[in-house]
Amino acid sequence: MNIYEKNLKTLTKYYPRIDELIEDAKINLKPELEVIEDYADNKEIILKVKKDGKTFYLNGKRNTQEPAQIWVDSLGELQSNAPIFMMGIGNPTYLQRLVNQVEKKIVIVIYEPSIQIFLKFLEIYDLEKWMDKHVIIFWVKGLEGMDEENMKRIMVQLLRYEMLMYFRSLVLPNYDVLFSEEAVKFMKICRDVAKDQIIEYNTNNKYNTVVTKNLLYNAKYLCDGYKTTQLVDVIPRDIPGIVVAAGPSLNRNINNLKKAKGKAFIIAVDTALKPLLKQGIMPDMFVLVDPKKPLDLVSLEAVKTIPLLTSISASSDILQFHTGMKFFYNEGYLFAEKILLKSSLKIGKVECGGSVATAAFSLLYKIGINHIILVGQDLAYTNNKSHADGTFHEIMEEADTSNFITVEGNFEEKVPTRPDFKIYLDWYNMYIKGCKEQVKELYVINATEGGAKIENTDVMTLEDAINQECKKEINIQECLEKLSPMLDEKNREWAKEYLKNLPKDFYKLVINSKKAKKMYQKLDKVCDKKKIDKKEYQSILKKLGIIIKNIEEQSVYQLITLTIVNAQCILKNEQFMQEDTIQKEGKEIARKGILYMETVQKLAELFEEIAGEAFNNWN
Amino acid sequence: MYDNIKKLEQQIDDIAVGYLFRQERKNIELVKKIVPQIQEFVFWFLNGNRYGIEEKLYKDLSNNLIYILEDILEALEQGDRVLLHDALTYGLKEYLLLFLQKKEDNINEYI
Repeated sequence: MNIYEKNLKTLTKYYPRIDELIEDAKINLKPELEVIEDYADNKEIILKVKKDGKTFYLNGKRNTQEPAQIWVDSLGELQSNAPIFMMGIGNPTYLQRLVNQVEKKIVIVIYEPSIQIFLKFLEIYDLEKWMDKHVIIFWVKGLEGMDEENMKRIMVQLLRYEMLMYFRSLVLPNYDVLFSEEAVKFMKICRDVAKDQIIEYNTNNKYNTVVTKNLLYNAKYLCDGYKTTQLVDVIPRDIPGIVVAAGPSLNRNINNLKKAKGKAFIIAVDTALKPLLKQGIMPDMFVLVDPKKPLDLVSLEAVKTIPLLTSISASSDILQFHTGMKFFYNEGYLFAEKILLKSSLKIGKVECGGSVATAAFSLLYKIGINHIILVGQDLAYTNNKSHADGTFHEIMEEADTSNFITVEGNFEEKVPTRPDFKIYLDWYNMYIKGCKEQVKELYVINATEGGAKIENTDVMTLEDAINQECKKEINIQECLEKLSPMLDEKNREWAKEYLKNLPKDFYKLVINSKKAKKMYQKLDKVCDKKKIDKKEYQSILKKLGIIIKNIEEQSVYQLITLTIVNAQCILKNEQFMQEDTIQKEGKEIARKGILYMETVQKLAELFEEIAGEAFNNWN
Repeated sequence: MYDNIKKLEQQIDDIAVGYLFRQERKNIELVKKIVPQIQEFVFWFLNGNRYGIEEKLYKDLSNNLIYILEDILEALEQGDRVLLHDALTYGLKEYLLLFLQKKEDNINEYI
């Protein structure tokens, strides 16, 4: 058996069928470059690659080891399961040095953009010992299923927020020249995945206590509320949907929207309400997502009765102020899901996309509207303003955008934008592309008349868009009046009872967290002994497992975890640390467990009180 | 010449540090700026056996230096960062250090 055959066998042991994929790729190989074997001064085999008339070495002739060794040394101490992403296997010294030096089991993902280099690698270097020691994932362009989308999915699994500080990446020298496009994409995927994790963490962190308070105060509106899936039954699909965002370009064409009233389903973002109502335009629905949105922004009498698409975690002040129809969607909050599931309808989901406008767009798509017009969706600074006049201020202040990042504009070559707008822009680009793959008829017009270019949209003036799309008369208010709240009388009563009992659920959580804390204290004592009683140690861990399972099974526990995202992260983060002895490990588990359970207990007590306030005097 | 060699050695060292420790990928651009200094050293070395090195060894060293220079020029032409780092750090720099060391030894002897 030669090295290549042995390597196929080794790989198949860890990744069944990969040998078939490699053999298939080998048969269907279309050479894009030439991989040449050469010898270093020390007689080691090194590879060089000839591509587009140029030749590149993948390892040095005079010193094959030092660059890789210095890189490995520079990684610092690595933690178990810490992911390392490498692009390129044409110089295996990097992998070899890494594998040999790191004793803890780590996860190494190797992206090789050339199947030819990968095949040559398999012919020369024996993988068996390396694969036995660490988790090595080869992602080879040209092997079936190993495309960039799937790579991102793998990375999302490996690169959690708590692992970010241990994560390392490397593009092997000359791969950035030989495969520049792939290298940029690879680094972008790494960066995007890391960025998404940071955004998610920061968002949770920013809103956590407010969110939980809002959730508890808003829960009662579910009892008389509606679900977005109900809209499918009453909103015709042969009319266009219009998303009115609050970008600065809205001031340019807001008047034209009057012509669309009664000929489209107009959904406005919360911030656009004031300028719209000032012009005498009543949207058919408005969207609220932000947990901290100030009431001032929408506190007009006319707003009270406009149907509202809302997140259950949105500002409770606004939900209290608003008296009209409230439409909810499933956001994964377990306690709310119980209520949503009580109605026989589908729960319904709206992709948030990070902003109110993206949520509105997603809703229109989800209810089957295939022609969507975007207005005021600048996603950039127009005339150095972030929002339309009449939103946050009568006249919005101009910002100095000279140092802002820029993106392609609808009418200008480049327009300045800021990171959060860019995220929404990326979301639109990704989402519309995906939707179009599902629904070929989806047609999106960007009638913003300024701002950033959104891919897969037709740019035109709002007037032209209305003339082209708004042909059928429709009274959305009448359509919505046909709907009944999602819960019937019986389920409504059940939901009220369920919510009134939430304080008791929090109390149960208090009891369980106290029990868990006691158990952790016991663990701490056991680990103080010189010789540890392994049986007792195991028994405590087992009991702890049962208590923690009980805690986690309570739907209100999720509200606690939302609030202590920081503490959770510390715990998760440290679970990757390994201590030298079972005593040390046990003491560390106990220390963190006690801290965590004390926090759970305090929050459960606090939320028991808030839930009491929210539901006790509620009729 | 000693000062020039010392300066060149420092410049090569800085480029190598960026390449090895910071994973910078700009050695081609940086080395292009010091090609005249590299050429100056190579011509100086090949222009005579200044330190009384044994003749056969001097010839071998000269041939090897030409080979290193060829690698440097090829790497610059091809845009090959790996070959360039290898030729500079594990090739040319060894020569520079040899002379810097030799000079210091001479100074020490004189003292």
